[in-house]
Amino acid sequence: MSESTGANTAKPSSSVKLVLLGEAAVGKSSLVLRFVNNDFQENKEPTIGAAFLTQKCSLPTRTIKFEIWDTAGQERFASLAPMYYRNAQAALVVYDVTKPSSLTKAKHWVAELQRQASPGIVIALVGNKLDLTNDANEAAGEAQPEEGHEPSPADGDEATEETQEEPDASNGDARKVPTREASAYAEEEGLLFFETSAKTGVNVVDVFTAIANAIPESSLKSGRGAGAGTGQTSLSGGRPAEDSRVNLGERGPATAKEGCAC
Amino acid sequence: MQWTSFVQKAQSFIDPANFTLPTLTSSDRNPSKASLFRQQFRLPDSQNPLQEITAELILPLPHISPSGDGPRNLDHAGNRYAGRLHLSERFLCFSTQATSFAPSSSLPASTHWAGQTNGTGPSGNGFTIPLCCIRRVERLNSLGHVFSLALTTWNGALGKQQPPGFTPQRFTIQLAGSRQACERFCDGLKKGLREGMKEIENLRIIVNDCYSEYLLSGAKGKASEGDASEVRQPPDAGLGMIFRYPGDARKLRDRSKMRLWGEYFRENGRNATLIRQPTFHKLIRVGLPNRLRGEVWEVTSGSLYLRLRSPKLYTDTLSKFSGQESLAIDEIEKDLNRSLPEYAGFQSEEGIGRLRRVLTAYSWINAEIGYCQAMNIVVAALLIYMSEAQAFFLLSVLCDRLLPGYYSTTMYGTLLDQKVFESLVEKTMPVLWEHLTKSDVQLSVVSLPWFLSLYINSMPLVFAFRVLDVFFLEGPKVLFQVGLAILRINGEELLDIQDDGSFISVLKSYFSRLDESAHPRSENPKLRAITRFQELMVVAFKEFSQITHQTIIEQREKHKDAVLENIESFAKRTSIRNLGPDSKKLSMDDLGAIYDRYYEVLYDNQQRQKLMEEERRRQEKKRVERTSILGPPVDREVGRVGLGPSPTHMDYDAFREFLAVTAKWAVSDSPRKDSSSEQGSNSFRGWGKAASWNNKNQPTDHEFMQRLYRKWATDPEEGISLQNVVNGLARLKGPRDIMNNIQYFFDLYDDEGNGTVDREGILRMSEALLFLSRRGFEGTITPTQSVDDLRAIDRARYEDKLSTDERFLGSVSSFIRRCFEYADPSNPGSKAAAEAQQDADEAADKLGSFSIGDDEEEDLIDVDSDTKSDHSAVMEKPSQLDPGEKHDPEQNRTISESANPALDPNNPLHITLPTFRMVILADELLEQFFDSYFPQSFHLSDHGSYAATATSLSSNLTTFSNINAPKPLSSTMSAPSVGGASGGIVPPGRGLRGVLDNIVSDGIRMAAEVKKRMDEAQRELERNALGRGEEEDEEDEEEYDGRSGPTSAPTIVGGISSWGAGAYGADPDRRSVRDADRDLLEGAEVVSMRGKDEASLLDDKDGHPANAPAEAAAPVPDNVVSKVEFES
Repeated sequence: MSESTGANTAKPSSSVKLVLLGEAAVGKSSLVLRFVNNDFQENKEPTIGAAFLTQKCSLPTRTIKFEIWDTAGQERFASLAPMYYRNAQAALVVYDVTKPSSLTKAKHWVAELQRQASPGIVIALVGNKLDLTNDANEAAGEAQPEEGHEPSPADGDEATEETQEEPDASNGDARKVPTREASAYAEEEGLLFFETSAKTGVNVVDVFTAIANAIPESSLKSGRGAGAGTGQTSLSGGRPAEDSRVNLGERGPATAKEGCAC
Repeated sequence: MQWTSFVQKAQSFIDPANFTLPTLTSSDRNPSKASLFRQQFRLPDSQNPLQEITAELILPLPHISPSGDGPRNLDHAGNRYAGRLHLSERFLCFSTQATSFAPSSSLPASTHWAGQTNGTGPSGNGFTIPLCCIRRVERLNSLGHVFSLALTTWNGALGKQQPPGFTPQRFTIQLAGSRQACERFCDGLKKGLREGMKEIENLRIIVNDCYSEYLLSGAKGKASEGDASEVRQPPDAGLGMIFRYPGDARKLRDRSKMRLWGEYFRENGRNATLIRQPTFHKLIRVGLPNRLRGEVWEVTSGSLYLRLRSPKLYTDTLSKFSGQESLAIDEIEKDLNRSLPEYAGFQSEEGIGRLRRVLTAYSWINAEIGYCQAMNIVVAALLIYMSEAQAFFLLSVLCDRLLPGYYSTTMYGTLLDQKVFESLVEKTMPVLWEHLTKSDVQLSVVSLPWFLSLYINSMPLVFAFRVLDVFFLEGPKVLFQVGLAILRINGEELLDIQDDGSFISVLKSYFSRLDESAHPRSENPKLRAITRFQELMVVAFKEFSQITHQTIIEQREKHKDAVLENIESFAKRTSIRNLGPDSKKLSMDDLGAIYDRYYEVLYDNQQRQKLMEEERRRQEKKRVERTSILGPPVDREVGRVGLGPSPTHMDYDAFREFLAVTAKWAVSDSPRKDSSSEQGSNSFRGWGKAASWNNKNQPTDHEFMQRLYRKWATDPEEGISLQNVVNGLARLKGPRDIMNNIQYFFDLYDDEGNGTVDREGILRMSEALLFLSRRGFEGTITPTQSVDDLRAIDRARYEDKLSTDERFLGSVSSFIRRCFEYADPSNPGSKAAAEAQQDADEAADKLGSFSIGDDEEEDLIDVDSDTKSDHSAVMEKPSQLDPGEKHDPEQNRTISESANPALDPNNPLHITLPTFRMVILADELLEQFFDSYFPQSFHLSDHGSYAATATSLSSNLTTFSNINAPKPLSSTMSAPSVGGASGGIVPPGRGLRGVLDNIVSDGIRMAAEVKKRMDEAQRELERNALGRGEEEDEEDEEEYDGRSGPTSAPTIVGGISSWGAGAYGADPDRRSVRDADRDLLEGAEVVSMRGKDEASLLDDKDGHPANAPAEAAAPVPDNVVSKVEFES
């Protein structure tokens, strides 16, 4: 993980509470682990209740400190969720691109958040386990410029499938949720949308960067950088949606490059 | 059995006020005496307090006293404890009690020994001894009137050979009470002992698994004969024996702890025969030695007694379910590799295998819980110290008693205890609490894992086990005390934190330094030697000693409702949201109403079944024995979604109840008519919920409901789920759509799913129509009153409900007749069949009228009449009907003759959906029945869904096009009509015939038959018309021209299209004219049906003087009815 740039110190810093929701074993904890430690473990202890981690994300104008609540995915833990998404400014709703039922579950979470969580919460829909699909390689290419991401072993596996461009109907492709379906849903609901691989690191940082960008400055409770970013209250409201649209559009290399240097 | 009655009698003698059956009333939320008793002595749920008496326990001074402090061996000297002696079916228990010092025990020792833990169950002094462990009871000759018993136990005497010089465990109990009371207690004890003897083999088995036996015998063996000890393998004391126990044994002073325990066991008995003295509690507080840890956990938690009851349950369960799969197993499998992965044992197949087996076996034995993440961690921890079977039973005690509701499917116990914990923090550390609130730090998100996994993944393992040692002895309050102590000790630092992050990191670093000195800079070396963990324990149990089990119970009670409500609203939200696309057809209010009602009925039913079960068991005098020793506690509260594992499926009986609160027609006519499930409800009338249920509408039973049930349920065997109910209702209550409703009804009777309904089905359909309408049309929803205000005119005209009902009878009658008329022979092409058809038509006619006539006798219209009478009244068994009154014998003969071919199985016939649809739409009442009454008879939320149904006009269109959809063959031919319908326009020139043709052109040969029949019908009609006069002909012509005039028959199909265009409500005049005509006609029809009821006929005439009966006989089929009747 690369150090923050020098400019960081001068930038206003604020913390954002982010909650991860999604079906069991879609890779919520792995996403966080990738984001926070740039690491991946095959056998992670299941999350009991919720795990708490923090990570900074540096934007051109400010630094966002994510306070990440990584919740347990087992169905019965769902009734604990309200405890965790309380006051959250951002949410990552994760599904598994190889498991359609997980998208359904994700939709329920989105509905739940939209109705019950704090108004103005920024929600990102994330399809994880992209490494199991055929377009993994292509997508991996996008994220490769990302500094600090060493090529993971999975990249090697994917090399054989290089020639296949389309995700559909090819052998060895475990994808069950078409990108179009999920992105259409995300657009409809005004969510950020990404497909990621916690295993290879594809798009992981982009998700968090996009969220950081989408948080309206007015809703940031300032951290140590005191007072910064509070002056633009009037801009709130329109901002988050606008940002998300922008991000949806230029998902890929562009976002990756200006991504946070965490 | 004598025994039980004795027990009950005895109990009522002792304390009638306390004699409570485990009822499920709300007052039962306070734990019953029985459950407190079980809690206190850690007894299995099968045990009940049968006898109790004040007594004094006199323990002999140790026989072998290594330290040499016991030489003053006077006869009756020894430790004396005053307390209460209790007897249950299989246990004898004693506990010191602060409140009940016997006058005789004036010895200071009594008060002294009672100590701080006085009266708190297993944490007090005393014993819990299974009766099978008692070898001999002697009544001692003692001075005065003291009634004293000397008990000798099997302690250490179960082995093959007793070591030389073996002294059996023997102690004395002095009963204090009247002679009578003492005698009674002894009688009870005697009986119990006799019963207990059966369990001695089990005792032998489980005792063999106890490390203490090995420890004591092995140690002895080594001392005398070396070979004896070699024979005996040490019992399984957990994975630790293979993979080492966590922590440094030397640092933990494991050996000296072992020695102390060995000594304690020798003096006070071990495992099942252990007697708790103050040293016991001290030994536990300093931490258990590795190899004895599992066994002592088993004893203090009481799981040993479960194992004693059925020692083979674990292995039996595994073999019974071997090879089977379940969701829980999938979930378990996912977590096996991630349970205490830092411990070597769980990096091996051996450890993982044990974990898998224990979790799996438990998921089978308690399917309600199945598997919950965190159980893997807890069980993994247990397995380090105990065998699989031991861990299995201990897990059961954990889930059922020590951590109630923690791992349930809603985890309400977890949430509840977090609330309790928060409120305790607020109470005991107000400053910290205020700070946390101000900084918007939610305490429970931090403390939840502490409770859920018993500190195992929060603290280093060695310390977590120390907490567990006390936890198993003293119960859940320990978790709270330790939690509070953690916050108290870190209070200063926590007051500085600003957010969740720093809060967590403060505690994380604290946990990682638990082994460090608590006072590193102290001058006093003793103080310096105290570790942070020791400090934690002291703070927890000294400073928070006021947190007792009672505190926790009270707090739980206080917060329970709020927590459950939260969970329930979450569950409801989620559940409704998850109901899928079909549910969108219903309003949120409706869904909410369905949800509430569904679960209300389900739980009501569940509770009732439970009560009945208990009642039954009581009657069978089997209350003492529980079928299974594991599983949810008997006095567990049920009946709320929030409490977790809820039944998800209704059986048919519950479904009937659901219908009864949803639709009037499902309510039984005779309230006291018991079906099998209702039997016995009388016997506990007045018992809580059962009583309230009795006041409710009792569901009736009808074939239609069975069909509905089968249709809605995905798997009728399994029952009917909320999803099923919602889907079922959504189809009926969704956007108003008569076509859909008709098809739905048809499908209910399409048994083979091949688009046809046979003769039997037709009769059953008509039966159902009568069944559904037998309560009238609910007063407000008369067939002529719907969302349409315009129809109010009609309603006004037909205020008389009776007439509506009667007219409906007529409609049903003609329904049957028409069905038979237009039915297709099932072996097509045969001329004989066609002829039979004719007969059938006629038969149906008569049958119809016949039945109606009969109905009248039976007063079918009477709302209060029995369903059964409906049942028989309808034409199911025409030959049984009494023909005498209204038909001369000859006619009767013809009826039965013609009826026979109609019912002749050799001439099978059937109707198809298009035919059925046509027949329904041919009759205004039936049409309205399906258009509004049928769907609206299901009442959901209070504010009806009129708003939703208002949008329905256009939806008729869309679904009309669906009519042909199931039959792809027809696509070419029917295309124009589909298009036309969708456009809301049917070419005016086509009219009835045209539209009928469209239906007929479904392309199916059967449909072609219908057309033929139609032609025939028309011919017949013409023939009939000859005797009728000109006007009628004109009307017929008009209709067959297909003009959109005041038609009734054209509504069959043509009407639909015009509704689609909005014509239905747009032309009130026309509508009313048409209705008027039809009403008149029906009036006539009813009249004829009722068999020359002149008065009624006259009434009708008076009502519509302008129209002569003959004039009105416009619609084709009605015409026929009239004709037949007039002829006869």
